[in-house]
Amino acid sequence: MTENKAHQILDKNGEVSADRPWIFRTYAGHTNVWATNQLYRENLTKGQTGLSIALDLPTQCGYSSDHALARPEIGKVGVPINSLDDFQVLFDNIPLEEMNTSMTINGSAMWLLSLYVALAEERGVDVSQLKGTTQNDVIKEYLARGTYIYPPEDSMRLIVDMYEYCLHNIPSWNASNICSYHLQEAGATPVQELAFALITAITILDAIKERDCFSEEEFERCVGRISFFVNAGMRFVEEVCKMRAFCEMWDEIAQQRYGVKNPKYRRFRYGVQVNSLGLTAEQPENNAWRIIIETLGVTLSRKARCRALQLPAWNEALSLPRPWDQQWSLRIQQILAYETDLLEYPDLLDGSHVVESKVKDLKEQAYVEIDKILSMGGGLKAVESGYMKSALVGSQSERMRRLTNGEQIVVGKNKWIEGIASPLVSDADGGIFMVDAKAAERTLEALAETKRTRDPKRVEAALEKLAADARSGENLMPASIECAKARVTTGEWSDKLREVFGEYRPPTGVDGQSMNIENESLQQVRGKIETFIKEHGYRPRIVVGKPGLDGHSNGAEMIAVAARHAGFDVIYFGIRLSTTEIVQSALEEDADIIGISLLSGSHNEIVDQLFTELEEQGVKDAIPVVLGGIIPEPDYPGLIDRGVKRIFTPRDFDPMLVMDQIMDVIIENKSKVAH
Amino acid sequence: MNGMNVAAMASQTTPALSDDIKQLIDRALKMEKWPIARLISMVEVESDSAAEQRHVILDYLDSVVEEANRDALVVGITGTPGAGKSTLIGELCLRMLQGSDDLFVAVIAIDPSSQRSGGALLGDRTRVKFPSKDKRLFFRSQASHQELGGLGKKTYHAVRLLRYIFDIVVIETVGIGQSELEIDRLSDLTCLVLQPLTGDQVQFMKAGIMEIPDLFIVNKCDEDALAKKSYHLLRASLKLIDISTEQDSDRARPVFMTSALKNKGIEELARHILSLRQDPESFKNREIQGEYYLCKWIRQNYGGYGIEVYQSIKQNSTSERFSFEDREKAFNRMIKGMVKPLESFPCR
Ligand code: B12
Ligand SMILES: Nc1nc2c(ncn2[C@@H]2O[C@H](COP(=O)(O)OP(=O)(O)O)[C@@H](O)[C@H]2O)c(=O)[nH]1
Ligand SMILES: [Mg+2]
Repeated sequence: MTENKAHQILDKNGEVSADRPWIFRTYAGHTNVWATNQLYRENLTKGQTGLSIALDLPTQCGYSSDHALARPEIGKVGVPINSLDDFQVLFDNIPLEEMNTSMTINGSAMWLLSLYVALAEERGVDVSQLKGTTQNDVIKEYLARGTYIYPPEDSMRLIVDMYEYCLHNIPSWNASNICSYHLQEAGATPVQELAFALITAITILDAIKERDCFSEEEFERCVGRISFFVNAGMRFVEEVCKMRAFCEMWDEIAQQRYGVKNPKYRRFRYGVQVNSLGLTAEQPENNAWRIIIETLGVTLSRKARCRALQLPAWNEALSLPRPWDQQWSLRIQQILAYETDLLEYPDLLDGSHVVESKVKDLKEQAYVEIDKILSMGGGLKAVESGYMKSALVGSQSERMRRLTNGEQIVVGKNKWIEGIASPLVSDADGGIFMVDAKAAERTLEALAETKRTRDPKRVEAALEKLAADARSGENLMPASIECAKARVTTGEWSDKLREVFGEYRPPTGVDGQSMNIENESLQQVRGKIETFIKEHGYRPRIVVGKPGLDGHSNGAEMIAVAARHAGFDVIYFGIRLSTTEIVQSALEEDADIIGISLLSGSHNEIVDQLFTELEEQGVKDAIPVVLGGIIPEPDYPGLIDRGVKRIFTPRDFDPMLVMDQIMDVIIENKSKVAH
Repeated sequence: MNGMNVAAMASQTTPALSDDIKQLIDRALKMEKWPIARLISMVEVESDSAAEQRHVILDYLDSVVEEANRDALVVGITGTPGAGKSTLIGELCLRMLQGSDDLFVAVIAIDPSSQRSGGALLGDRTRVKFPSKDKRLFFRSQASHQELGGLGKKTYHAVRLLRYIFDIVVIETVGIGQSELEIDRLSDLTCLVLQPLTGDQVQFMKAGIMEIPDLFIVNKCDEDALAKKSYHLLRASLKLIDISTEQDSDRARPVFMTSALKNKGIEELARHILSLRQDPESFKNREIQGEYYLCKWIRQNYGGYGIEVYQSIKQNSTSERFSFEDREKAFNRMIKGMVKPLESFPCR
């Protein structure tokens, strides 16, 4: 028995001890089910106990790999899953009952959970033993991440169906995981992050309460199942305070709004990925230090320490991380947890007046925002009206302004730009990870095989039942599980529900936004626009297009807002469009230029599609195209050759300079086309 | 691409129909999208030479389209931002086209311009999901620029052009303040979109706007119960207005309950509009309309004096048929010697 000193942690026997570290996560999945299965098995033999599954964009958006929109994206940012047959391969030789499986899946979350349950049942595994999480936070998909499918009300119904099913059948499954991570990546301030994440939790719990499917005790457990996925940026002191605010607010909300008596069920359980939006393409080696600092925000305060942590890589703004890049980030966590004494102390910040006051301040502001949204009718209404989305776009515009005029210093980006070139980026492969294009063929073959060998009658019956239950309001889990077993495909399941619910596109949040940049480049581009108007009698028109399944909307939104600020008439109609839709809009609007934004890594395929379309319509020379986003330099020659007039990357962070160059392209083209 | 440039064409001295434009119009009449779009741009542009251009285009259309007999019914849709106008228009258009291969519909959606930069964000397309490459549908955005009520000569000319090419032209307004009055001038059928059980109605009543529309749509009636309740509420208030304004109470103005999201009530609305298209009574007098826009423009640029000048031209006019361009030209000739325009560049 040791004397109790304030700086020590004692275990239950009264011995001085230390905390166990948080879980070190790496998020993995790519190419196809065979490659990913191999990757998982390697990781498991290395002692990893959990799987964090990255799914490709078609799967996330409810399309099978053979859908036209899917083709350029198969296996790019995650593994493609078309049917239960794919799941059989993905989990081959992996014992489900021992796994903690987390899936980053939202719009089609119910489908992936159904596949998992069906797989367990086919393997004879006791379903009630399954453990894991489906991300399944659709509100933040509408606001930030983009893989939504159905209208808000119907999506919420799917979520509640899953909560109901899980609590009764898979008690250790987290039906959803509420994410403020993505909100910060879309521009959210700490207050917005607190308010919008907690409003999301409230929206889900209110919907569950309204269904009235749980006893009081069950409902408490259900509240206890709510977990969060949070972000932490460079202002790490404020971030620590934000985490403490989260913990206190969640406890208060659970107690006051939902009457949860057991404190265990009111605990704010969260995992983290630290901020990537602030990681730079310029002097990318500096990002390593940024990542360490960001990590402090979620580990310093014992009371508000994360349960699990995953870190981006130093080359975040360049391309997908390679295994070495991921390993380097993992080392940061290991060093912090094992080399330092961080885990030996009780909460370091308790009793700090500064922290207390800051936490109070954040909480007050966040509660004001929460009350405001509740008075508008709640989370879903604030999605539909665009209130929350506009707030995020507003914050992101403000961030752009601060970066542009140097108010917010980012080392190597807008300050101390000169320096010795980094040897890190001059590796043989240029620091860029590429997915093997042929791997998609194998996925497509497997899909065709599934369709050929399954029982069409069973498929049809399963889909009919799904539609019928969707209409009648029956819990959709059982019908979905039967679909999975019948070898219904991801696209078929999603389409059936599209028929019943319809599809939804949330507000873009850009209307009415302004960007308060007043600099020389603005004067310059405005001058060019004035001259253009005098000469041609109208304002130049730009179509800002987001083709494909890429949900990275920040860039396009900022470009749209910036273009309006410069004086363009801007046509922007959201994400997830086909190249055909974008070209059609440019034709109908008689646009002077098309600006494409792509960060998903599919720019080569999609730009090619776009130009084929423009050629077919006979306007390839008439409407110039510029491109922006994450475009690796080795791809430039091919893209320029195909017809792209200018390429912009995160390095072009003064939006008015970008606008000025766009104006140059328009003027160049006008003079060429005229005669 | 010779001749595709507005300014280059506008600077031609002879107002005769060039081959390029003739070709463009012929292609537009085959419902090719880009030619239609180019023509809209041409008639929208404002400058003296562009006016000549517009004259030529519309005259030619007048001569070739006569036999085709396509004088579109113009449907104006107004209501507060967020009421669901764009979404509803999207669904409505799709529904009108269902089961008909030779109906052609164009949409013009107007959004506000920034006072500060002059630029505009045109985002109504977000809400319409048209099958791509379908020639029966055409969607064009327009910035309100500094026009009062967001509708001006630009919209008028674009609509006039589209009337030759399409069977139905739908206009979506910015939906704030003046636009209800303005849209009524331009459309044969003015529809006001309301949201169920919100403050909209009261606001509109106060502003005297409820008297204007030919038809009411209560959108976002996703649930039937909601639809019923708001229907009765609206009917009750309309009764009050119609009595106070001595409107013919036998011809109660139709009310439609819709959910653009759940596709409810759209079919009824579509049928109603299609039936109006068959009825010659539905169409407003085009001359009065033209006169209104001409006068509006003259007043904006030359004030009351301009109107006086115009009146004198009108009295001395010998031609029977109203032609916007003829009158505009005459006015311009007359006024040029007398005054300088208030704004040197009215199209901004
Ligand atoms: C923020 C972010 C997100 C946010 C997006 C929020 C939103 N609504 O936009 C969230 C968290 C949702 C997200 C999710 C994902 N992300 Co992400 N994300 C980023 C991040 C960190 C920053 C991008 C950004 O917004 N920058 C700020 C904006 C303003 O800059 P920008 O887009 O570059 O635009 C500037 C220029 O490029 C240019 N520009 C851009 N577009 C256009 C268009 C025109 C016309 C013009 C003229 C100029 C122009 O001008 C802009 C102003 O300077 C990047 C890495 C990085 N640091 O760049 C990864 C990154 C783009 N993401 C990536 C991945 C893999 C994903 C996920 C697939 C992860 C997953 N498996 O779930 C998902 C996909 C979600 C989806 N539906 O597509 C990868 C893409 C890999 C690749 N290309 O090979 C990246 C590169 C990270 C990485 N290294 O792995 N992400
Ligand atoms: N619940 C519901 N929402 C709708 C309906 N129609 C439109 N909306 C939503 O209302 C918002 C505004 O729609 P929009 O068409 O842009 O409105 P506009 O500003 O009047 O053109 C969007 O989020 C739409 O999805 C409807 O019938 N029901
Ligand atoms: Mg609209």
